[in-house]
Amino acid sequence: MLKKGDIILLVITALLSISGYVGYSMYMDRIESLSKIAVIRYEDQTIRRINIDTVDKLMEFTVNGIYNNKILVEKGRIRVIESDCPDQVCVRTGWLTKTGELAVCVPNRLMIKIEGENLEIDGVTH
Amino acid sequence: MKGTRKITILSVFTSQALVLSIIESMFPIPLGIPGIKLGLANIMTLMTIVIFDFKSALMVVVARVVLASVYGGSMLVFWFSIAGGLISTAVMGLMYKRYEKYFSIIGISVAGALAHNLGQLFVAVIVMKELSVLLLYAPFLMAAGAIMGGFTGLIAHFLLKALKRIITT
Repeated sequence: MLKKGDIILLVITALLSISGYVGYSMYMDRIESLSKIAVIRYEDQTIRRINIDTVDKLMEFTVNGIYNNKILVEKGRIRVIESDCPDQVCVRTGWLTKTGELAVCVPNRLMIKIEGENLEIDGVTH
Repeated sequence: MKGTRKITILSVFTSQALVLSIIESMFPIPLGIPGIKLGLANIMTLMTIVIFDFKSALMVVVARVVLASVYGGSMLVFWFSIAGGLISTAVMGLMYKRYEKYFSIIGISVAGALAHNLGQLFVAVIVMKELSVLLLYAPFLMAAGAIMGGFTGLIAHFLLKALKRIITT
């Protein structure tokens, strides 16, 4: 049933996705140790940067656009808790805790990502 | 095949594709990775390419995406679907026409699913203006494409076996 080209295609796809995943995890390990900054972007602009390591009480706010995303922040984690967008991908993504993790609401053009930042250096420049 | 018969069968295929895409929207895959879905409607696209031709498949895909977004979904979802649908149909149509010797329906379906996922990722990069992090999704989307594409290809393979003679005679 399978032909030669099928096998080649499947092998190449497997190799590419495995090596991509290995590269991804290595990148994750490297940035693990840095301070976690949640960057909230709406349309093309960064509207908020929160150091989630240092949040000590519950924070809640809403980003209003075409749709409304309600965002919840606790110590060490952030998530979209409520959204009135049609696909709900952002809500189902759940909590973001690690550097590099990402929650996207494409309908509302909102993105939350956790960036690693070396605060000792950036503390001077900020 | 006569015009009326062709139009009738294409309409049936379109409605089948529509039903499949509505059914799969009832079962979201909770992996936390946007854009991963079964792609069942791809079965009908493949069937159309094999039984009819690339042009008919394009019509079925466009009609399905337009109708699906009438029943629900925003403008942006429409653009994602149409981009994914057109690029995967183009890839599958070309492969079936030119490289049928080397690829079975299953391989063609996998290539279509990969093209669909990477095409949508490309649209997402343009919409979000964020290259680096979305690229991190590529390995997952490729693996998902290979699995789901293989699955729908297998279904199309058996469906074609059963239906091809009935439809083309």
